[in-house]
Amino acid sequence: MEFYSAFGKRPVRLSESTRRFAYDSLHCRYGRETAAVPTVSLDHIENFAELTDLAKYDLAIREICLHAPLRICEGEKISGSATLGEAIRHHVPASFEGKPVFYAVSHLTTDFETVVKRGIAGIRDDVLASLKAHRGTDREPFLQSCLSCLDSFAIWHGRYLEALKEAGYEENCAVLSKVPFGVPTTFREALQSIWFAFAFQRLCGNWPGIGRIDWLLGDFLDRDLAEGRLTLEEARELLAHFFIKGCEWICGGNYGSGDAQHYQNLVIGGRDGEGKDITNHVTYLVLDVIEELGIGDFPTTLRLHKGTPQKLLRRMAEVIRYGGGVLAVYNEELIYQSLLSYGYPKEEVWKFANDGCWEVQIPGKTNFGYDPFDGLQVLQQKTLQTGADFATYDALYSAYLTDLEAAVAGIVEYHCHEMLGKDDRGRWRWGDWTPSTVISLFEGGCIQAGLPYFRGGAVYNIRSPHFGGFADTVNSLYAIRKLVYEEQKCTLPQLLAILEKDWEGEEVLRRYVQSRYAYFGNDNDECDEIAVSLAKDFAAICRGQEGRCGYGTPPGISTFGRQLEWAPHRRATPYGRRAGEVLAGNCSPTPGTDKEGATAVIRSYCKIDLAEMTTGAALDLKLLPSAVKGEDGIFAVTALMQGFTTLGGFFLQLDVADGAILRAAQAHPEAYDTLSVRVSGWNARFVTLDRGWQDMIIAQTEEHS
Amino acid sequence: MKVAEIQRFCMHDGPGVRTVIFFKGCPLHCAWCHNPETQSPHPQLLFEAKKCIACRACGECPEGVHVFAHIHTLRREKCVSCGNCTSLCPTGALSLCGKEMTPKELLAAIQRDAPFYQNGGGVTLSGGEPFLQGEAVLELLKLCKKNGISTAVETCGFVSPALLKEAIPLVDLFLWDVKDTDDARHKAYTGVSNKTILENLRLVDSLGGKTRLRCILVSGVNTNDAHYSAIAKLYHSLQNCEGVELLPYHPYGDAKARASGMDDTSHAEWIPGEETLLHGKNALLSQGVSIHG
Repeated sequence: MEFYSAFGKRPVRLSESTRRFAYDSLHCRYGRETAAVPTVSLDHIENFAELTDLAKYDLAIREICLHAPLRICEGEKISGSATLGEAIRHHVPASFEGKPVFYAVSHLTTDFETVVKRGIAGIRDDVLASLKAHRGTDREPFLQSCLSCLDSFAIWHGRYLEALKEAGYEENCAVLSKVPFGVPTTFREALQSIWFAFAFQRLCGNWPGIGRIDWLLGDFLDRDLAEGRLTLEEARELLAHFFIKGCEWICGGNYGSGDAQHYQNLVIGGRDGEGKDITNHVTYLVLDVIEELGIGDFPTTLRLHKGTPQKLLRRMAEVIRYGGGVLAVYNEELIYQSLLSYGYPKEEVWKFANDGCWEVQIPGKTNFGYDPFDGLQVLQQKTLQTGADFATYDALYSAYLTDLEAAVAGIVEYHCHEMLGKDDRGRWRWGDWTPSTVISLFEGGCIQAGLPYFRGGAVYNIRSPHFGGFADTVNSLYAIRKLVYEEQKCTLPQLLAILEKDWEGEEVLRRYVQSRYAYFGNDNDECDEIAVSLAKDFAAICRGQEGRCGYGTPPGISTFGRQLEWAPHRRATPYGRRAGEVLAGNCSPTPGTDKEGATAVIRSYCKIDLAEMTTGAALDLKLLPSAVKGEDGIFAVTALMQGFTTLGGFFLQLDVADGAILRAAQAHPEAYDTLSVRVSGWNARFVTLDRGWQDMIIAQTEEHS
Repeated sequence: MKVAEIQRFCMHDGPGVRTVIFFKGCPLHCAWCHNPETQSPHPQLLFEAKKCIACRACGECPEGVHVFAHIHTLRREKCVSCGNCTSLCPTGALSLCGKEMTPKELLAAIQRDAPFYQNGGGVTLSGGEPFLQGEAVLELLKLCKKNGISTAVETCGFVSPALLKEAIPLVDLFLWDVKDTDDARHKAYTGVSNKTILENLRLVDSLGGKTRLRCILVSGVNTNDAHYSAIAKLYHSLQNCEGVELLPYHPYGDAKARASGMDDTSHAEWIPGEETLLHGKNALLSQGVSIHG
């Protein structure tokens, strides 16, 4: 029983049965079972087609809770399973006449703090109180829907209690009879409580993140340890079962961007509301489990700050070395500044987690979405159309900013149409959206306001424009500035004609721009200065859009792998790339242009005022296994993480991968079932990625090594 | 100062993450040299044939160095290392190794990665032989210390004892090359005796200089028990030596040799196998030597 490693053998601490459970789960045993039953049917419901959306939704949730298959895995210490296959496809898994009726919700971390502090019973109390306040208003139907979904939740919970009892899982049954409806008192109860609330949301098709698991669970474990109820070893086994249960949607097969992107992210470390570092036993146990089992389904990010214990940093480095791309780093201090300057209140900022990838949000309070666009496309298809000419570089750049502003305004315009303008009290009125009651139960503000998540119920409503093709745009601008305006080797129309012909017959010039200019990622101030201005100007453009609709529009920089779809449609670029060739991912350099190593890449990236990129700007770095060998390797990884935060980075994904191994996995997928790689904001088992995605990751790996 | 290359994010040339400055010029001429382009103190034209697209942009050379038949070849004997062709070359196939830089300029380059020098990282002066740069090395080391940058110097030891003495308080770690403990072989393979090198090592040690011995293992040349015992004896005779690092010979210097127009001296039979390396390591460990890495 081996779990994939890019670097030596993974340690063994867990029991044989737990390791077996992990092995089976990672090898699709439960995922295939889940996929086999896609939905429950709503066909038997009379007059279903005539019902309101909300009534349809409530019935769908009810039928799911009544009829979804129950799963009790052999020896499981944590119970409850999201067993319907359409949930893996982001649908509420209930179908009418063969089709799923509703989309579900993702890109958020829901509120598990209330789950462990007040239980589902506490949530029910809140609904009842709000119902009292809103009786007879237009908000009552939503609150009735909340009650209906809570009742359905209780039905599903009751079915598990019975099944566990029948199957002889007395301990599981005892724990589950207390939580999640009641308030947990032990680590196991708290863990089960979070899991069951999480599994319920997923059962209904949603893909929430979990957020700060060590902060949620640390006190429970400390108490158990102090009172002798539990040992660390037992706690590790329990936590491992939580992780293993989280692999229940792994189905194998090949589909697009891989099989593990269900946004079930965790955040560890960082400070609490008083500024105290929260690192606790759970933090280290999370790393133990990832280290041993290599499970990539819960991408985990450390909130690194000056007070992060050296021991934790070292553990991070040790675990990162095994590869799998499971761990990443936030620069906590910079993100605090970023959120504060955007206007989030101080008492919320310290709670930050993400949307499941890495876009920063206040968990349990945010209706989040982001709008990706390709800045290179704007440059190529708007600013630099055939025949375009500008007397100076500055004239070209300001024309580009005008086009960029129009692109961002277009995105925001789209969201304005989701609004129905303002009501007579000046509040935004939201258009109709798909019902979202289940998620609304776990989003602070919805219940109190009597409004669904998608209709203004969340405290913060964000649609973040995300600049893609950032490095490609910067490099294009830099090459033009050097070639056309400084060295005057050709005119802009001449260059555009050359690019239109895909550099044909211009190999000398192409090599010249490739080898003579140091692009974004080489710590060349002259080029990086363009990146700095572009990010600043983009942020200003986004600020200019604030207030146009009910959504906030803070900026971010990402591609999340979209560069793969974009590349075939982008013509040749001024920095020597031919049409169709690989493009840059997230806020990382264009593959093949960074030649000065990892520290230079980090420096270029950190010159940008990343605090202005409120929802995030990710840097992906891939290291070779040989670079992280021995004590030197641990030093190297910790030094990169520390330097990254010192210099003002935002989010760093460090993966250890070897192009040769990835190629071998392409040729013999059967031998590399559990090889996990960082794709972008998420991980996936490499063999489940489409060929195009696989090739892109190999290209990134080899270019960076 | 004559700089061949600056490499950032190096993990294997001293503690932590390091920026390594390779200086030009070396008093030794080791048969197995890993950085042959740094042997000569003078600027040298490097030509990487695989990058050349035969565009002939360099063809205007007034000395007639560049010759184009079916491939691009160089008449190196005519080259005056003016570097003009390298600025004409669009592909980077031609470059000039040996850039004059002041200690201040070097400090600025070193400081670029200062945020990554936490946990003991810093700068490593290497080469070539850094101490051949004379007083300027001391100036650079002083600047580094003044700016809180940890310093390591990789030296072949065949240098002026006076300079070494002055350097001791400025160097946190000497990476001291001990190519061979057998003097006859040392002469045969490096061109000089090891006598001065070992005397200098003892001098530095006696004055409190911290050292790590770097011993190249060249299979069939110095991979024998007598050498290991002599290394162990040397190690135990030193007061301030933190340990021994074994460096297996590799033939990667050859690409650089070819690019600088030197003879290809690679010897596949010199590459030590896993077993040879393990034997060497164990031989030293069994004699109480602390092994690094």
